[in-house]
Order: sequence, then C-alpha cells, then structure tokens
Amino acid sequence: MAKLVISNNIRKLRFYNNEMTQQELAKKTGVTRQTIVAIENSKYSPTLELAFRITEVFEAKLEEVFSYEVVEDKSKKEDDSK
Amino acid sequence: MYYQEKKTITSIISGLLILTLYVIYGISKYQEVGESLLGDLKFWATAMLVAIGGGIIVIIIIQIVFHIILAIANEVAKEVSKKANCESIKDTYQEFEIMEHEDEMDKLIALKAMRNSFVWVGVGFVSALLSLYMKMPPAIMLNIIFVSFILGSLFEGFSQLYFYRKGVKNG
Repeated sequence: MAKLVISNNIRKLRFYNNEMTQQELAKKTGVTRQTIVAIENSKYSPTLELAFRITEVFEAKLEEVFSYEVVEDKSKKEDDSK
Repeated sequence: MYYQEKKTITSIISGLLILTLYVIYGISKYQEVGESLLGDLKFWATAMLVAIGGGIIVIIIIQIVFHIILAIANEVAKEVSKKANCESIKDTYQEFEIMEHEDEMDKLIALKAMRNSFVWVGVGFVSALLSLYMKMPPAIMLNIIFVSFILGSLFEGFSQLYFYRKGVKNG
C-alpha cells in the first residue's frame, strides 16, 4: 500500500493570523503547545477532531491547512518489477 | 523540555530508586542469611509488598516535590515576564498552566509506551517459567517477575521520552 505523507501550513497560517504564537493556538484548540510543535514538525498527525478545530481557528478549509502526498513504497515497487 | 517529559523523567527516577533500594536490600539480606533465604518465600513476599507500598509513597513524594519546584519556576517566570515584558517567558509560564491535562497526543504516547512495557513483562513472565523449568528456587521466579514489572515501567518511561522526542504516528 502506498504511503501517505501528511504536511501542513500551520506555521504560515499562524504568521498570517497576527503572528499567533504556538501557545495561543494550543489554548484555542485545547491541546498542549508540545502537540502543536509536533504537528508543525510533522512528528504527529492530529485526529480529525483536532484538525477541524485547527481549521476553525484559522477560518480556513481543511485542505488549506493540511495536505498529503502519496509516496510509493520503494521496496514494493522493486518486488513488482521482478 | 515540556511538562509531560519532565513528569516522565520523575517517574523514571522513582522507578530506578525503588529498583535500586530493593536490589541492595535483597543482596545484603542474601549475603547475611545465605542460601536458605531462597527457600523463604514469606520473606520475599514481605520485601516485595514493602517495596510496592514504599514505592507508592516515594512516587507521591517525588511528584509533590516536582510540582512544588514547577510552581516556583512558574511564579518566577511570571514575575520576570512582568518586569521584562517578555513574550517568550510569558509563553513558558502559560504552558505550565495548560499542560497539567493530557491531550490526544499524550494519550496515544501513553498507550504505545504501555504496549512496549507489556513486552518486558511478558518476557519476564516467560523467563520466570523457564527458571522453574530449570529447577531454580521459587524465590528466583518471584524476583524475576517482580523485577520485570519494574523494568517494564521503566521501559514505559523511556518509550514515552522517545516518542515525545522522535514523534508518534497514528496507526
């Protein structure tokens, strides 16, 4: 199965929203700053609920905040070619 | 370092302290009494019960001290931020106020770390059974199980730290 790589524009959106701090975003979404930092650095993929709460803060669509890329599994590709 | 990581480190320190005290006590008693101690299951059961009870008290004390230190650091950060009007320090003390609760990432990390700790406990249980199979005294089996539980909880703490540092993926 192909791998999904999820990325986000939270850092950019924070900047465009009066340079909102990670702490402010954390407070508005009801999570810790650590979680916001992890999401921004793509170390954690939020649940749908949190993802929607983040989009609500920025008044943006889900796809404006989060995006994904399908990455083919290299090892599987090599197996298929054999 | 964030609140949850600091809390995990205090748990690891508590676990290490309990394990060290138990091992030191067990070895010193063994050296004092000798081989016959291995047949005295009542002694080992008492020692383990005391270690569990004492461990709970140690954990409570360490957590209280940790929260006192955190509260003092929080107040100092508040005062400094008021005087310096520094936003970054303000962020730091506000962080302490919010971080007391666990959010979805903390819960996911706790679950994954607990799964890792169960591996240790499982390995310990099988080793304990093997020790009986190899005709070792039952006290050895008891000790293997007890130590594997403590090592499991320590491994849980280290796993949590790892996931906080390296990140955690759903699924």
